[in-house]
Parts: sequence; structure tokens; C-alpha cells
Amino acid sequence: MATPVALVTLPTLPRRPRPVPPLTVAPESVRTCGAQLLAASAQVDDLGTFIAGKARAGDWHGTGSTSYHATLPPLGRQADAMSLALRGVAQRVDAHADEMESLVRRRTDLLEMRTGLDAEIDALEARAAAGPTAEEVVALGDDCVRVQGRVEAYEADVTLWRGDVSAEESEMVAAFERVLDLDAVDRFYGGVPDPADAALARRPGAGASATEVNDWWDSLTSTEQAAIIAAAPGSIGNLDGIPASARHAANAVALDRDLADWGNAESQGLLSEEEERWLENARAARDARDEIENRTDPVTGEPILAQIYIYDPTAFDGDGAIAISAGDLDTADNVAVVVPGLGTDAESAPYQADRAATLYESSRFLDPDETNASMFWIGYDAPDNLPWDEGWDWAQVVNEDLATQGGEHLADTIDGLRAARDGDPAHLTAIGHSYGSTTTGHAAHDHGLDVDEIVVVGSPGLGGDTDQASDLGIDPDHVWAGSNSRDPVAQLANDGWVHGELLDGAGLGDDPVEDDFGANRFEAEDVSRPDHIDFGQHSLYFEHNTESLYNISQIVNGDGATEATQAGHVHDPWWGGPQDPEWDRDPSTTTTQPRSQSGSRSVSSGGSSGPW
Amino acid sequence: MAGESSWEVVPATVGVVSRRWDEQHLDLQAAAGQIRDAGTSGFTAAVTGPARRFLTTWDRHATGLGNTCETTADGLRVAIEDYLATDRATEAEIGALDPYREEER
Repeated sequence: MATPVALVTLPTLPRRPRPVPPLTVAPESVRTCGAQLLAASAQVDDLGTFIAGKARAGDWHGTGSTSYHATLPPLGRQADAMSLALRGVAQRVDAHADEMESLVRRRTDLLEMRTGLDAEIDALEARAAAGPTAEEVVALGDDCVRVQGRVEAYEADVTLWRGDVSAEESEMVAAFERVLDLDAVDRFYGGVPDPADAALARRPGAGASATEVNDWWDSLTSTEQAAIIAAAPGSIGNLDGIPASARHAANAVALDRDLADWGNAESQGLLSEEEERWLENARAARDARDEIENRTDPVTGEPILAQIYIYDPTAFDGDGAIAISAGDLDTADNVAVVVPGLGTDAESAPYQADRAATLYESSRFLDPDETNASMFWIGYDAPDNLPWDEGWDWAQVVNEDLATQGGEHLADTIDGLRAARDGDPAHLTAIGHSYGSTTTGHAAHDHGLDVDEIVVVGSPGLGGDTDQASDLGIDPDHVWAGSNSRDPVAQLANDGWVHGELLDGAGLGDDPVEDDFGANRFEAEDVSRPDHIDFGQHSLYFEHNTESLYNISQIVNGDGATEATQAGHVHDPWWGGPQDPEWDRDPSTTTTQPRSQSGSRSVSSGGSSGPW
Repeated sequence: MAGESSWEVVPATVGVVSRRWDEQHLDLQAAAGQIRDAGTSGFTAAVTGPARRFLTTWDRHATGLGNTCETTADGLRVAIEDYLATDRATEAEIGALDPYREEER
């Protein structure tokens, strides 16, 4: 028989856990502040470098010269000290952003713990109010002691967390106050050598391999690496063999510096014509980075990481060079490098960034267990003439020269990616679109492209020396070609015995989707295709929910052999014109993104406003 | 510096260097702007004040350093002017130095 409740003393219930104090902070804004300070420190560092070198007028002699040159050392010392001081604060601000991000996460955990404890105490109170039996009171007492212990542990964690917040805030404040005045700057940093100088002095010379560069970088301390990124971003930002994360950090400093420099000159009406172009390129790089960072990873729901792998707004006579990745090139399981074609220069970077981000989204969506990085690569001087600007005679002025030069650059970039992933190789795919396929073909044929897969889409040919997939230096089973049957550019390639170069120089090599070529042809028709040849179809290979993007993504993920949908090859009998079995096949819509992210897509017909 | 230089040959290199100092002035102006606009809104309340004070102070430091660059460029131009004002400069030297008498940027 159960003991009457009235004779039982109820245990003391655990006290309610105290709330977690609020924490109002925006780590990303803090990080932006640090980035701006770091870029400003690079400017001050440039002054120090200038004073030590080009500020001297060596052929000027006499007392005036003596007087002038005597002002240089103290000013140089001041600039160097200010640069180091500002860099130190900038790096501390960046570390502060990391620390505050961690503290925000810890607070979220504490909030969850408190909610859980409240729920447990609610349950204990309900059991106590229900009139428990003696046996139940014993069990209730045990549970109260257990939960009380957890409340105390939670509160100890809250106290520790508060202490860590205060300590971090104090250290940040101390960093700001430590070098507030110039006397303090000189006291702490006057005459102090910049760690970047000694590290750069050990850098391998011009012509060093990407592997040698990578070995040098790995030999540096983290302090030396951080110093180089801040003081001399241009020395490593585009250097093959440097890991992508470091290149990105350096290029971000250079980009912020350039935007500030040329923006300031522009606001005063002092920008030269050349600088105007460079500024446009810098702004295009910024917009391209933003385009990627504003997109969402379809698996995690987090913003996509952008890495600026190449940034040179002055390259190629002002056309500029920019390559930005969606995803982490240093760690991704699958890395894709997209080589664009005709009409591409740095100003088209935002357009190309959209393609890279779309490929990233599709690849992630189709294989969520793999990680990806997709990089657009404007690393060569692509032909500028567009058919809608120049008319159809453009084919006469397009030849393989730029693709040949670009191929060498592309091979260097691939070598750099490989060297930076020594021991942890990615599954690497080079994707050439339009004239970019000719460049990719030259990279592979002329230099031996160290990739796992080669994909070409909308290709006018992979170069006159590439007659077959086996000429590209990798297993032909890993050479893939997609060609929309209505794409006029793809039809420039040579079929059968009729070669385009016989027709006023139009073709840029053999047709990679012809049966004789020996590549895998995948389906790449679009549901919007008309019943005639159409320029708009040439720009659809990287659009979501297309056969083409689906197949490219499967290949990028290493699943091409089993998942890509194969298409019939073009056949060109000697008695007639090329016959494309894809012409009459009904195109399909293939899902490459979560339904929630699908939007309507507009397809222009008969032309395109963008580059290829 | 300016007065003494009138008795010495001032080569065109001095003009080139003066323009480089102007470039440095512009770059330091830009750096000051970056510091000024770096933004403190992301920091916690305990850090915002010191952060704002740091940015204000360093905006002044960078601006001051930029002004020093501008002053140096101006000083070199004065040296050029003084030299050209004397009758010791040859026609060739005048031709080489003449473009640098004016501040370009």
C-alpha cells in the first residue's frame, strides 16, 4: 500500500538558471573594419618603401640635395613604424572578430542549455505538484539534485563566458590605446625590422616552380606570412604555389587599397585615363566577389565563401586579370576552373562570377557529401571582338594566338593549384567555354594540363593540333564535350574533311562532339531552343536546371561515368553535311538546385548582352 | 633647401621625384579615408568608444603623413623654380625641368 502523500516531505526543487547576458556585436562588421585598417597599413608601408628607394634623386648634388636627403631617414622610420603599428591593430581587430564570433556561438549554446534546464525544472515542478508517492519522492529528490548540479554547472559556464567576453574586450581596447599617439608608435615600433622584409628576401627568384614557391611559403612563420600579406600583397597575390587562402587575403588587401586610391583620385578629378580603366576592373572584382558571397550554399544554407585567386587590374594592357572561386580551393574535394571565351575581360567578372557560383550550387546540390570550389578564370587576354559588335567577319580576326598564350597561363594556374594541395589533391576539372575551350585545348596539348577531367562546351575547336581527345594528354575517357545543336559557335568547329580554316579562317580545330574526335559527348540541349541556329543558345550551358549544367556538375564531382547523360555524336559522312542526332531529340529539364531557390530564367534569342 | 638650391644644378630627376611625392600624398589621403570610414558599429559597447577614438586619431596621423609628402613635393618644386630663375640654367635644363614646375596631381 502506498504511503499517504501528506506524510512525505517534498525535496527542494532546483532554482531557475539565471539568464545569459546579452551580447551585441557584429563580427563581420568588425572584420571589415580590420580589413580596411590592414589595407591602409599597406599604403603607409608603401611610403616607407618609396622613401627607401625611389624618393632619392641620385644625380642631384649640393647643399639642397643634402638637405633634402637628410629628411628622408626620419620620415622613413616614421612611416615604417606607423605601418607596423597600424598593421598590428588591424590584425588584432581581425582576431577580435574571430574571438567574438566564437563567443557568440558559445552564448547560443548557453541559451540552449538554459532552455533545456527550464524545461526539466518545469517537469520536476509538475511531478511535485502531482502528489508523488514516497518512492516517487525519492526519485524526484534524486532528479532535483541532478538538475541542480547541472544548473550550477551551467551558471559556472555563464560566469566563465562573461569573463572571457570582458577579457577579450579589454585586450581589444588595450590594442587600440597602446599605439594611439605617435610617440608610442615610435617607442614600440621605431627601427623595428618588418618581418616581411627578411621573409621576402628568401623568396625563390623569378622562374621558380610552383612547388618551390609552396615550399618557401610553408617554411615561413605565421607572423612572416601575415606580414607579407599586409606589407607586400602584390608579391604573393598572384604567385602560383601560394595557397588560395593566403592569395585571397593578399588580393583582398590590394583590392581595398586600389579602390581607396583610385576612388580618392577620381573624387578629385585626378584620375588618368589608364587609371579609370584599372578602377573599373577593381570595381568589377569587388562586384564579382560580392556576387559569390551573396549566394547561399544549397546544403548548409550559409553564404558561399569567395576567394580572390588572381587580381591584377592592370594586366593585358588594361583588360585586367581576375579569377575568383566560389568555395575553398585549398580544401574542396572537387575543384573546377572555368575558362571563359570571346569578349571576356576583367569587367565581365561579375557575369562570370554568377556562372561560377551557379556551378558551385549545382555541384553541391547533386552531391551534398562532397565539398566543392568553382573558379572563373579570366587569366588570359581573350579576344575582345564580339560578333554582335563586329559582325560575322569576327571569325576572320579570331585565331589561336591568344589561346596559345592563354594556355600557358592556364597550365601555370593548374600547377599552382596542385602545388598548394601537395598530399591532398583535389579532383580537378578544367572547363572551357567557347574560345575558352580553345585555350583549354592548348593548355592541355602544349603543356600537359594536370587535371582529372577536361570539359568543353560550345566549342569552336580545341586548336589546330588537337584532332582527337587522346591529343590532350589525359585518358580520353575523361574528356567531355557538350554542344547545343542550335549553337552557332560550336558549328564553327571542323567536321569531316571540311575544315573551317579553309573558309576564311573560321574554325579553331576539330569538332569535339564528332564521333572521330573520341570524347564523351553529353546532352546539352535547352528546352528554350528554337528550330533554327540561335546565338542565345551559346550562353546557356551554365544555367540552372539545364541538361548541360547537370552533366558538367556530375563530371566535376567525379561521377560523369555513371551519372552524366550521354548524347549521340555528330557524324559527317563524306557525301553530305554533318548529322547531329541531338537536333531532333526533345530536350529535358533537369533539377540542379533546391526547389526553394529556383527562379524564373530569361533566355535571349538571337544574341547576348554578355561575354561568352 | 629652396634658397640654397639656386646655386646648384637641379636635374630633371628632382621633378620626377616631386611627382612621386604627389602620388604618395594621394595614396595617404586614401589611407586616411579608409581609416576614417572603417566603421565601429560592429564592436560591443565597451569597445566602440576606444575604437572610434583610434580611428579619429589615426585619420589625423595618416593625413599628417600625407601632408608631409605634399610639403616635400612642394619643396622640390620650389628648388626647381629657384634654379630656373637663375641665369645658370642652360636651355636644355630648362626644357627638361619646365614641366615639373606645375603640380599635376
